[in-house]
Amino acid sequence: MTGIRIALTGNPNVGKTTLFNALTGSRQHVGNWPGVTVEKKTGRIDWNGHAIEVIDLPGTYSLTAYSADEVVARDYIIEEKPDVVVQVVDATNLERNLYLTTQLAELGVPVVIALNMADAAEAGGCAIDRERLSALLAIPVVRTVGTRGEGLDDLLDAAIREVETSPHHEHTVGYGNDAEVMIASIVDVFSADKDLTKRYPLRWLAVRLLEGDENALDKIRDSPAHTGVQALLSGIDPDEYEVAMADRRYEMIAAVLPQVRTAGAGGMNVSEMVDRVVTDRYLGIPIFLALMWGAFELTFAVAAPFVVLIEAGLAWLSATIAGSIEPAWLASLVGDGIIGGVGAVLVFVPNIFILFLILSFLEDTGYLARAAFIMDRLMYAIGLPGKAFIPMLIGFGCNVPGIMAARSIEGEKDRLITILVNPFISCSARLPVYILFAGAFFGAGAGGIVFLLYILGIAAAIGSAKLFRHTILPGESSPFIMEMPPYRLPTVWTSLLHTWSRGAMYVRKAGTIILVGALVVWCLASLPFGVEYGSSASLAGALGHLLEPLVAPLGFDWKVAVALLFGFVAKEVVVGSLGVLYGTGEGGDALSTALLADPGLSAATALALMVFVLLYTPCLATIATIRKETGSWRWAGFSVAYGLVLAWLLALIVGHIAPFFLGGA
Amino acid sequence: MSNRIKEIFGAVLGALYGGLGMLQIVSAVTDLALPFVPASFFGGFALLVIGAVLLTGARNLAQGLDEGVVFVNVGILLSVAFGAVTLLAAGAGALEAAIAGEAWSVADALAPAVYLAVIGAAGLLAWCRAFFRGLVAA
Repeated sequence: MTGIRIALTGNPNVGKTTLFNALTGSRQHVGNWPGVTVEKKTGRIDWNGHAIEVIDLPGTYSLTAYSADEVVARDYIIEEKPDVVVQVVDATNLERNLYLTTQLAELGVPVVIALNMADAAEAGGCAIDRERLSALLAIPVVRTVGTRGEGLDDLLDAAIREVETSPHHEHTVGYGNDAEVMIASIVDVFSADKDLTKRYPLRWLAVRLLEGDENALDKIRDSPAHTGVQALLSGIDPDEYEVAMADRRYEMIAAVLPQVRTAGAGGMNVSEMVDRVVTDRYLGIPIFLALMWGAFELTFAVAAPFVVLIEAGLAWLSATIAGSIEPAWLASLVGDGIIGGVGAVLVFVPNIFILFLILSFLEDTGYLARAAFIMDRLMYAIGLPGKAFIPMLIGFGCNVPGIMAARSIEGEKDRLITILVNPFISCSARLPVYILFAGAFFGAGAGGIVFLLYILGIAAAIGSAKLFRHTILPGESSPFIMEMPPYRLPTVWTSLLHTWSRGAMYVRKAGTIILVGALVVWCLASLPFGVEYGSSASLAGALGHLLEPLVAPLGFDWKVAVALLFGFVAKEVVVGSLGVLYGTGEGGDALSTALLADPGLSAATALALMVFVLLYTPCLATIATIRKETGSWRWAGFSVAYGLVLAWLLALIVGHIAPFFLGGA
Repeated sequence: MSNRIKEIFGAVLGALYGGLGMLQIVSAVTDLALPFVPASFFGGFALLVIGAVLLTGARNLAQGLDEGVVFVNVGILLSVAFGAVTLLAAGAGALEAAIAGEAWSVADALAPAVYLAVIGAAGLLAWCRAFFRGLVAA
């Protein structure tokens, strides 16, 4: 069995990961917006006697890489030299997609075009002559519909054929007399360096250098040809060459398109019609806010009956166990520790799943990409590109992938700011805390309170970004250019798959981190031996009293202090810890009742606590990701310290102001 | 189909959304209790947004701008979507009450987002297909 490596490349949001999943049976996350994939993913498939390794690369508009994820894609193709590159092309947007094709062709690597989303193009009345396109580009073109798995067999066959028919052909774009003379001169200088000749296609490298590609310049820094090339480049304006060469590529595309494509009827389609309203200068943001409120209202309301059922189940389980387990400490461990701690978190599984289902729907339809677009003006005003809002939106699920998504941000300072503010975006781990306290203290208004907390998280992120931009990370951000993906009706299966992949993570955490956290808190609440469970004389009490002075100005007592301390590991542990400390294993809703009965807690304190949980130190996994993505513990430490200070200050303000609005509650 | 009818539809439905949205907000910030208008600040805000979209459409059409049709169409879609959300939430409330053995009546489900969505749905059924077709072929 022979081995073949296929690299999947293409513009962002053309369906590469969908195709990758269909080819390899993987379940990598896909989304209807650009920049979902930020690092390469690998999958395997056996096909007609070939062991095929498929590599899904981050999207890129061209081989002139600007952002970290584009560099990953470009470097893989150039340095790792896959056997064949499959360029996934959005059939509804051929002109822009073929720009990358012209650059891939220059590389001389075997290329196959997967003409994806062909169904959408055909539905729009657009007909593409694949055979003609293939003949003009001298590249095989295969029709695919990734979402339905159509054309996969033909694609694999074409890729294998392309590998087996090597040596392949190199296709070039004519860049005009001036540029061609320069290219020839640079190639001539390069030819003295045998190593360079072996590693890179020299014409391609010369073109990159003429376009002022810094990354390409790095590749020849150690070459003996470096000085000679620098001398040649010193007299030219790379911007001028870049524009002129791009024009030539588009001229070539413009010559090809009329021969292969019959466009559909003009006019405004449904996507454009909806966009005209939801991206409206004045109505866009209010519509976004109204939809987000609707999402949280639905999350609360629809989950409620399921929560009642889980609470009843836990109450039955706890009562059964309490009556049948001896000795008493073991009954307490199971009832107060495991059921009280883990159960307090599991109760919110329906809310988590429903929120993820709604977010998946908004993401898969393409609406969240519009949300990033309408926030652009606001983001640009604070000195960040609108693109920075996409990692924030991803952060609604979990801050870890949100921070990783910042790789698509081009400027280093922009990327750093985007990373540092992402922990303020309310991830799903905070939701159980909000549901518990908002549900207990705000009743029918709980959905509105949770909505406000999410908005506060966005406001804190935006405000902090502005502060960082004007203090520690000054600079100007680049303008935002974002392609609007067409609206798509997600399939039930896709939405459920997305919901499950994210929701299952929450359930897994309940059985691992939260279980361990609950057991640790139970031990602290039970020791030393003979002490009253969860009393201030226990180790938990001693620890809580030690921390209490720090949180007392916010109105929090020692139990809340202990819960917040353990929430550093994962935010859900706050709820689990409170469940253990209040000893509410006997019933799911008993924790809400216990919190309401606690004279130290009021609606204002609950609000301050929710604000504190929203903003205080990121969880351990997020801190580790900040360290990895910034390459520095300094920034990770800064994120923790800044979050704590901001959380403390805002919780203090909320705790003191809220009673005026809540009628002294 | 005359744009005049769409203009009147957008204006009337937009005004109803705007008015009832305001009442929901006023009910939320005061103790005013109105039948079939539950107190909800954000619920009222959502109605105001739908009203604004519909009224923008009506205004554009009144000014002779065909683009107003787009706003009326999307306003109708938002109306139906929020109606469905509110109805779903009410259904879940009924289920919760049944599980917990509490009382629940249909009146609990009657909120402006629901009964105004009936008018929106009528517009969707009557016109939207024609709206979309007209626009695509434009």
